[in-house]
Amino acid sequence: MAEALQKLEKGDGDCSLLPLVHDIIKCMDKESQDVHQELAKLKAKIQEAREQIANMPGIDSSPTAQEQQLATLREQVRTKNQLLQKYKSLCMFDVPKAS
Amino acid sequence: AMAAAAAAAKSTKERLLFVLDDLEVLSRELIEMLALSRSQKLPQPGEDNQVLELLVQRDREFQELMEVAQQQGKVHEEMELLEKEVEKRDSDIQGLQKQLKEAEHILATAVYQAKEKLKSIEKARKGSISSEEIIKYAHRISASNAVCAPLNWVPGDPRRPYPTDLEMRSGMLGHMANLPTNGVNGHLPGDALAAGRLPDVLTPHYPWQSTDVSAGMLPPHHGNDFGLEPPGHNKENEDDVEAMSTDSSSSSSDSD
Repeated sequence: MAEALQKLEKGDGDCSLLPLVHDIIKCMDKESQDVHQELAKLKAKIQEAREQIANMPGIDSSPTAQEQQLATLREQVRTKNQLLQKYKSLCMFDVPKAS
Repeated sequence: AMAAAAAAAKSTKERLLFVLDDLEVLSRELIEMLALSRSQKLPQPGEDNQVLELLVQRDREFQELMEVAQQQGKVHEEMELLEKEVEKRDSDIQGLQKQLKEAEHILATAVYQAKEKLKSIEKARKGSISSEEIIKYAHRISASNAVCAPLNWVPGDPRRPYPTDLEMRSGMLGHMANLPTNGVNGHLPGDALAAGRLPDVLTPHYPWQSTDVSAGMLPPHHGNDFGLEPPGHNKENEDDVEAMSTDSSSSSSDSD
């Protein structure tokens, strides 16, 4: 169990819940009244994470699908640029400027 | 492989929320388990360890997914820029298309007009008349004074600014009325000769010259008149006089 708790401490990433769980377990070990506060923190953290996920842009698809969309967009821009370039270089007559 | 395919098909958001739910459930389970074991003082080794392992694993998974989500956020920004560029190119292409349509319209009109012009050129070519011919004809109609009087014309001048009776009769209207072309009154042969457009058969011989005069229809003094003509009188004038005398004779016979 001690080993496992060490693992909990290690989870120090921004969005890791392990430090909070670790704090709760420590409070329980000490039989401290702070445990309720720590539990509320964990709950708040989870809620915060849910909101963060809801607001994150670009995660409505899987990375693979997103890569495909990106490739499609790049291809579109390339094709359209090519088309415009072709007509600009072909332009042998005076095109009235769009005002 | 199936699970990986399913994971790849699912959106990152779904997976994040799913892992987050797992984390919530596992952490609650772990805490409850620990609380229970502490209150009952019954060590339950193994089971809580299993839950803890699972919790750690899910937490790592969650963090990895959050990193993926951050990357996708960056890709999303790039995609937004690309979408704006696509929109701009689309409007450029639409503008170009509009211009090409206008050019097509202008060219179609020009081609139509050119074809019409070619048609009229071809038509003109088929009915072409040489300029020489036109000039010849112009000379012919102006030489006879048929279109305008001579500059010094005065009443009584035998040269006329009008078509002669003979000319009228030999024309289309005369043919329609089926009028005889000879035995005409008021014709001035000299004029006709000057015009140079009478057929040879009509020009030199007039019926009254040979028949009427020889038939002795003219009063005898007329004959004497001719006799009194001064010598050296030219042929044309003689013709004129003859014609005029014929006039008077015919009018006199009419009155008879």
